[in-house]
Amino acid sequence: MRDSILTIEHVSKSYTGHKALSDVSLSVPRGAVYGLLGPNGAGKTTLIRIINRITLADEGRVLLDGKPLTASDVFHIGYMPEERGLYKKMRVGEQAIFFARLKGLERREAEKRLKAWFERLGIADWWGRNVEDLSKGMAQKVQFIATVVHEPKLLIFDEPFSGFDPINANMLKEEILGLRDRGATIIFSTHNMASVEEICDHITLINKSQNILSGSVEEIRRRAGGNIFEVVYNADDDKLHTATANIATLLNESEGVVGGYRRVKMHIEDEGNLREVITRLNEQCALRSLSEVMPSMNDIFIRAVNGTL
Amino acid sequence: MKNTWLIIMREFGERVRKKSFIITTLLMPIFMIGMMIAPTLMMLYSKGEQKQIVVLDRSGQAIAERLMPAAETTFIIEERMSKGEACRIFNEESGIFGILYLGRDVEQRDSVQLITNASSSMMLEESIASQISAIIEHDKLASYNIENIEQILAEVETNIELSTYLNDGTGVEESMESTSSSINYILGLVLGMMLYMIIILYGQMVLTSVVEEKASRVIDVLVTSCTPLQIMMGKILGIALVAITQIAIWAILIIGASNFLMPTLFSVEVVATNDMMMQSLMGTLGNTGYLASLFLYLLLFIIGGFLLYASLYAAAGSAVDSVMDGQQFNTVIMMPIILSLIAMMSVFNDPNSPLAFWASMIPLTSPIVMIARIPCGIALWEIIVSLVVLYASFVFTTWAASKIYRVGIFMHGKRPTWHDLWVWFRMK
Repeated sequence: MRDSILTIEHVSKSYTGHKALSDVSLSVPRGAVYGLLGPNGAGKTTLIRIINRITLADEGRVLLDGKPLTASDVFHIGYMPEERGLYKKMRVGEQAIFFARLKGLERREAEKRLKAWFERLGIADWWGRNVEDLSKGMAQKVQFIATVVHEPKLLIFDEPFSGFDPINANMLKEEILGLRDRGATIIFSTHNMASVEEICDHITLINKSQNILSGSVEEIRRRAGGNIFEVVYNADDDKLHTATANIATLLNESEGVVGGYRRVKMHIEDEGNLREVITRLNEQCALRSLSEVMPSMNDIFIRAVNGTL
Repeated sequence: MKNTWLIIMREFGERVRKKSFIITTLLMPIFMIGMMIAPTLMMLYSKGEQKQIVVLDRSGQAIAERLMPAAETTFIIEERMSKGEACRIFNEESGIFGILYLGRDVEQRDSVQLITNASSSMMLEESIASQISAIIEHDKLASYNIENIEQILAEVETNIELSTYLNDGTGVEESMESTSSSINYILGLVLGMMLYMIIILYGQMVLTSVVEEKASRVIDVLVTSCTPLQIMMGKILGIALVAITQIAIWAILIIGASNFLMPTLFSVEVVATNDMMMQSLMGTLGNTGYLASLFLYLLLFIIGGFLLYASLYAAAGSAVDSVMDGQQFNTVIMMPIILSLIAMMSVFNDPNSPLAFWASMIPLTSPIVMIARIPCGIALWEIIVSLVVLYASFVFTTWAASKIYRVGIFMHGKRPTWHDLWVWFRMK
């Protein structure tokens, strides 16, 4: 296991009347793209705020590179909140410089790096314009640049793709992966499961203030995907039912697919049963294919939240 | 510390470059100078129209002949016409302003009449009445047949000037400060109103700005680099700097204008009046040291008063989602400010009344009331105590406000109640 850049140990936080986080622990491997998942109101934002030292935890501690977080650590963290915020009446370039300087860059250095980023994302012409003249997508790019310009080793993106068209979302994805390749660790907070499957290698799922699932995406999918198979065959339903009786559980109504074949998902408990199913299907149902199904992150998310994983 | 400075400079830089700032900064002195020279200009332009008054003198005392044409009026003596006839002939179309009718016994009621075609002015009426009174008085005195009556009258005429000083206890008259109640009154009023305007104007600016930052979610980005206290203080100090800059520009423009423009604009007759008030006003404005000390106090109380209220405005702004929602808190913040204005009025009756004293010590009312009292000559210790209390309570309100601010900036949706604010305040 790679060493972890960020470790959260038994963190709890309550606001008057409700518990936002209770005893949450997790560790983010260095160089990972780490998904922080959970339904709305689960406590993700609170956790991110604690990592950013915006609020302090009631209990537990947060370690960055093995050391408790201090005020100057914010210079090593870049955070793009879900609700993007820029001063509307301020010029784009000056505003970016302002945010970069707040993160500890000198004016000259900030300007140099920002201009390069603006060039790269194709918004260099907008340097001297007011933010209110920008389209939403362009403002998002400015925000993204302001988040990464001080080259932090830990980047936190809250719903980074919301509001981007597919082309720009893809560009953003490439940029984020590029940052990871150059050594940054990235934390994603999202409930867009498709993006999790695409780019996250580790996740933590928070529900009702607790960490209910943590680990690498592959492992979790394999674990959750236990013994579900998709079968394509050519027979009527009665034959299928007799063939699978007592040794497999059908998970859905079979449906027709192209070429006269039918398809169904089933749950098969152990190896012996699996072989038996294959034999019977082969004999009675003109089996064409049988393959293990990995559950989508979306399924896992819903099952985990409903407690049926 | 560096980040607070960055926030101050952003707040300041953005604001002073705004068109609205440049326009108000330049227009305000023009407006104020306009107010100052308007009376002179009005006098100049209203002079053109001469009023002609026809006099029908039935008194038999030759009063009509002795009426002197005043600045705007000339008199035409009409000997034979009856009153009714004159009214018909000298109507509106005749261009005559009106008819002055002097009855047989002018001291009788209703025997001196001014019948005008248009409404007359108080000044005109007073000047005619006083001229006639003076003529009658003169005639009466003459009827006593006293020798050299003119000379005696000239010698008898007296005009007493009351010089007022403030006792400084040294017994040395030269060191005592000369005072003038009317000038103090005006100066106090002007200073108090200035402070009032600045606190309201710039305090509102803090509220609006905090709300905007919260509504646009810029605050969510800022808090990753700065503490809420840094952000709040940066904003308040940045706006304070804008206020100081604006006042300084106004001061320079107004002083410059009054030095170079005033002498040419003020006609000689206005400056040369024997009016006591005008003279002492000139004296006060000519006393640079006194003006400088006033300006220093003004600055100290403006900064203290602004900072005190600005933190309250910031807390109110952090709690709401829109400027409109901020009104409920705004109203409450305004109350002590309005109270100060009422207390300030009592200062002019008696600058040392218990009300005036305590109102200038209690921090929420002290800036406005104290600055109004200062021109009346207040013991230095009172000013110092008032300032110390003011600045100490600024530290307190800022601390209290920041406790609400740090929670409020993340609260969206429902408009908070007073109870909510109290809960936020007590949060760890």
